[in-house]
Amino acid sequence: MSAVPAAAGGYFGRALVVDVGTGGATVLPLPDPVLRDHLGGAGLGAWLMTELAPAGVGPLAPEAPLAFCFSPLVGTPLTTSAKFAVVAKSPLTGLLTDALASSHFAISGKLTGNDAIVVRGACERPSVLLVDGAGARVEPADDVWGMSAADAEAALRIRLGAGWRIAAIGPAGERGVSYATVSHDGRHAGRGGLGAVLGAKRVKAVAVHASTKVAPADPKAVLAAARDLRQRSFGQATAKYRELGTLANLLAFNALSTLPTRNFTAATFAEAPQLAAEDISDLRKVARNSCASCSIGCEHIYATKSGKKARVEYENVFALGPMCGVSDPDDVLAASSRCDELGIDTISAGGTIAWAMECAERGLIDAPWLRFGDGAALLRALDEIGTGTGIGTLLAEGSRAAAERVGQGSADFAPHVKGMEMPGYEPRTLHAMALGLAVNARGADHNRSGAYEADLAGELDRLDGGAEHVAAAIETEDRAAIMDSMILCKFLRGVFTEPFDEWAALLRPVTGWDIDGAELRATARRIVLLKRAYNLREGWTPADDWLPERLLTESLQVGSGREARLTPERLRAMIDGYYAARGLDADGRPIATLGGQRRTSRGGLRP
Amino acid sequence: MRAAAVVLAGGRSSRMGTPKAALAWHGSTLLRRTVGVVARGTSGPVVVVRAAGQELPDLPADVLVYDDRRAGLGPLQGLSVGLHALEGTVDVAFCCSTDLPFLHTAFVRRVVEAMDDAYDVVLPMAGGFRQPLAAAYRPSLATDVDVLLAAGQLKPAFLFDRCRVLRLHDEDLLAEPRLAAADPALESVRGVNDRTEYERALARPAPEVAVQRFGVLARDGNRGSRTVRAATITAAAVATGLTLDRHVVAAVNGDRVTRDGSTPLVAGDAVTFVSADAGG
Repeated sequence: MSAVPAAAGGYFGRALVVDVGTGGATVLPLPDPVLRDHLGGAGLGAWLMTELAPAGVGPLAPEAPLAFCFSPLVGTPLTTSAKFAVVAKSPLTGLLTDALASSHFAISGKLTGNDAIVVRGACERPSVLLVDGAGARVEPADDVWGMSAADAEAALRIRLGAGWRIAAIGPAGERGVSYATVSHDGRHAGRGGLGAVLGAKRVKAVAVHASTKVAPADPKAVLAAARDLRQRSFGQATAKYRELGTLANLLAFNALSTLPTRNFTAATFAEAPQLAAEDISDLRKVARNSCASCSIGCEHIYATKSGKKARVEYENVFALGPMCGVSDPDDVLAASSRCDELGIDTISAGGTIAWAMECAERGLIDAPWLRFGDGAALLRALDEIGTGTGIGTLLAEGSRAAAERVGQGSADFAPHVKGMEMPGYEPRTLHAMALGLAVNARGADHNRSGAYEADLAGELDRLDGGAEHVAAAIETEDRAAIMDSMILCKFLRGVFTEPFDEWAALLRPVTGWDIDGAELRATARRIVLLKRAYNLREGWTPADDWLPERLLTESLQVGSGREARLTPERLRAMIDGYYAARGLDADGRPIATLGGQRRTSRGGLRP
Repeated sequence: MRAAAVVLAGGRSSRMGTPKAALAWHGSTLLRRTVGVVARGTSGPVVVVRAAGQELPDLPADVLVYDDRRAGLGPLQGLSVGLHALEGTVDVAFCCSTDLPFLHTAFVRRVVEAMDDAYDVVLPMAGGFRQPLAAAYRPSLATDVDVLLAAGQLKPAFLFDRCRVLRLHDEDLLAEPRLAAADPALESVRGVNDRTEYERALARPAPEVAVQRFGVLARDGNRGSRTVRAATITAAAVATGLTLDRHVVAAVNGDRVTRDGSTPLVAGDAVTFVSADAGG
């Protein structure tokens, strides 16, 4: 075991690296400069993958590492800080992916005494990895193999005891579905197929038990900051999340022609009111819930017709509703619940099925039952994905891989970037977001690039992308890099008026660092650059920073009658502007390389 | 076809007795309203031509303001400045005076969309009268206008003798369904030349528009579409009980999202109010 240096406040200064094949564990020291350069969460995960993943490793290979990364704020009373990132090479994209989830697993996982837990190797039989203050051990988990993540979590808590917190995969992860999730307490680290990475290691679950404490540098100041932040979290800036949840977006997006519908053949959905939070929350909402250490309470839980419960978010309703042309709320809620049971990402599931519906309607695949608007067909497709039967074998690898197999021009309307299916933001009517989706390291993603904020904030013309949109996309990407690394929930972002300065003010009393907003901006750029550099090492090419052909050749019309068109030339110009502003070369490659001379003394990349 | 607009604000306003550009109009000004309507009816920039040294009311930051080179030469002088400003950047410019409080976006679109390669000017003939200050011009006409100015031929009619003009009579204008529905009496070209006309126009009710609030803004019984009378986004917000603060943004007819409460509204508009934090 390596010597671990004294860590800054809020950190342990170490990662636990476990080989689940042998059961052996080693401690990887995380020196203060590494932590200060990458903070935690997604940033630390990118650094760990760069350091620990063999170049070119297959995402499902035993040697491929998967990291649970915590952050300096976890364990403090700062609201929304109980979050963790799961990071690995994605089986969906072949590039880096990081996905966040929340609640007690974050706190207990960190209080095992580690800033990250890295899983490598592969078990011979279904297993559960247990980590506590004594280290790591692997136990058989044949009895929970095949269960939904929620059922497995419940069963393991009975076996292990209530003090254990568990993140688990569902049947889809066991079967290697490329967009399988890792979940804890019903919340999913959803994007990029992290569940399949754990499944390939035959690890059904990771269980953690808090065994120690972590001390901030200035506990009184942290408490005062936490009180202030909590108070601000009750205001108007978070009202949407508290009162209706993100599903409040649905009708607004429909009115603004930015609700992707029937696989991006339209941007409005006539039946949207049937699925809107404003209309169905009174009828179907049965509970509202919060993550641990959260004062917002964004989770809105609805009842399905069969009596099950479904967590409802804009993204799952968009992907399983309008994207597939399905308007019956019973079908959409049932589909959402089914995704949870199988442990699959709703966005990728909905996007892939919508693509398949279009293929079937065009006669490109032999599935005459699969039609836009057919809720029963949607549920059948989900079941076949989860069970690896019928058309599920084609759809389990996502729309990019499926389109490569089907051919016949179907790649032109496969709704993905870098293999990751697109979220519910229409790029032709949101030009800053179009750029963000194209260039983001994770692929088509609204959490690592929140450029839609600029399109919808009223400061620029969302249909006329240019230099302002480039600047906005970079700014929101930088903000996301910090929020995902320090970690704070993005639903809190509206309460900050000078975010980098205010985030530095939160980090100072926790860590004891003399960090300021300018340093955090540099940190954000470093993290964005590091992800890009990792991807380059793993085979990224300039062609990966692009949007599906359909979005660049078919125009839309907004309500005013104005044409919404995103030409290849406009997208190219915005991408070129992004590369220049990021200090990349003309093909989007970082000028600094992972092994190059421009690495900083802390081991990171110069921003 | 890329269209922009020119608003001539530098007239003497001698019959009005005060500069028309700054006249109040339902919480805004006549010039702000005209600029906003032509901006919504076209895709390019809006050029405002003023008299040298003329003080203008508040305008959006992206409006281009140019000075008349010489005073007292009438509208052709302003037209020259405006068309020169747009030469080489757009295909057509809707040019109008500042005193058209009932100008409708559908009228602007009808006129600019009528331009094609066979014409240099699209000239509405509303009520049988030529409307050179509510017409569309090719920016390349700027040089022809300069020739006329040099020759002392200061009336727009001289320009029409030198170029290809498409005249749109009432029936031509109203053949466009959106315009026929929005402005059947073609009041878009009705100007206000003196105090009496201005006060009479101001006394008319503001345009009737549909307003809808979404998300948390729709709580407390504020769901669904309502019809209100409002000349600006701010007025529409007030009419529906909203304060247009940093948490609220708006879109007119589902177009660009804006925080600019002075954006003018016209009859038949649909205004959407959403939380400024729209998105996940």
